[in-house]
Amino acid sequence: MATNTEDSNPRPPDDTSAIQPTGWLRKMLVWTISGATPKCHDVVRILSEQMDHELPVVMRLKLRLHFLACCWCERYMKQLHCMRETARRFPVHTDEAGGPVLSPEARFRLKHVLNNQ
Amino acid sequence: MKQPNAADFSPPTVASPEPPTAPKRDRAQTDPDRWVDEHGDCLFRYALVRVRRREVAEDLVQETLLAAIRSREKFAGQSSERSWLTGILKHKISDYFRKLGRETSFTDLESLADEFSEKFVPEGYWVHVKGPKEWKPESDEVVHRAEFWQTMRHCLDKLPERIANVFMLREMDEVESKEICSMLSISESNLWVMLHRARMALRECLEINWFNREK
Repeated sequence: MATNTEDSNPRPPDDTSAIQPTGWLRKMLVWTISGATPKCHDVVRILSEQMDHELPVVMRLKLRLHFLACCWCERYMKQLHCMRETARRFPVHTDEAGGPVLSPEARFRLKHVLNNQ
Repeated sequence: MKQPNAADFSPPTVASPEPPTAPKRDRAQTDPDRWVDEHGDCLFRYALVRVRRREVAEDLVQETLLAAIRSREKFAGQSSERSWLTGILKHKISDYFRKLGRETSFTDLESLADEFSEKFVPEGYWVHVKGPKEWKPESDEVVHRAEFWQTMRHCLDKLPERIANVFMLREMDEVESKEICSMLSISESNLWVMLHRARMALRECLEINWFNREK
């Protein structure tokens, strides 16, 4: 998101925002969007909340508007969905994830308890 | 080797919902020894990611397999044996957290501090060069890579414990927010803050160690 801090907070080459602050018209647009929508610091919190409950329509529109000038928040939202998708698949990939296994003693205890049922 | 005593290893006694259905097999095939050999390590690893304590994870595996013995006659094959047992284990994990929520405070206030403030300029915008990068390859591709799941486990292990607990209940077990709040006796706003912190930290860890690592 561009602001009057643009000079001290340059945009890297991988900025893919639909509207970038090049030229006075686009600068004005970005400035207007940044004034009309929450700041990125709040957007990430709101995006997380959106994963758990529905947001009011106005807020959803503000987020869409924000994304036009801020590819970072839009990426953040996509990545929240990616984490949800992969976390849900984790249980079937537990073996691949590695980590400690049952100790021989625990295995022995388990079999003993189960066979005495 | 220490002589086992069933009383020593008895799991927490908590009510569990009916386990999900599983394939119909004859008694010889559903022999508990084989369950321990074929699925014990996988169940234990999953439980350990969730509860972080070996002895609790072992108890949960034992409780899961005991429940499986009790209900194996009722099974009708719709899923693999592994996913049936994992389903029972998930119920046992929920029961464990429900019990823990009654006994201890689940609100992790220490972890609510804003550690990620360096990601934002004082005006509240991203420090652009530190903002989220494009994640490549996409999630559809990474799920086929064992190294990804190792990184995921490593990143989940690094989250503060309470925050990891609520994140995994919400995202792995797909428990609704309201149910997590009543399960753990926490307020909805506290839950949202904890989930936000978990997502922020996990995202950062996955980006550094997987999606944007030095190839």
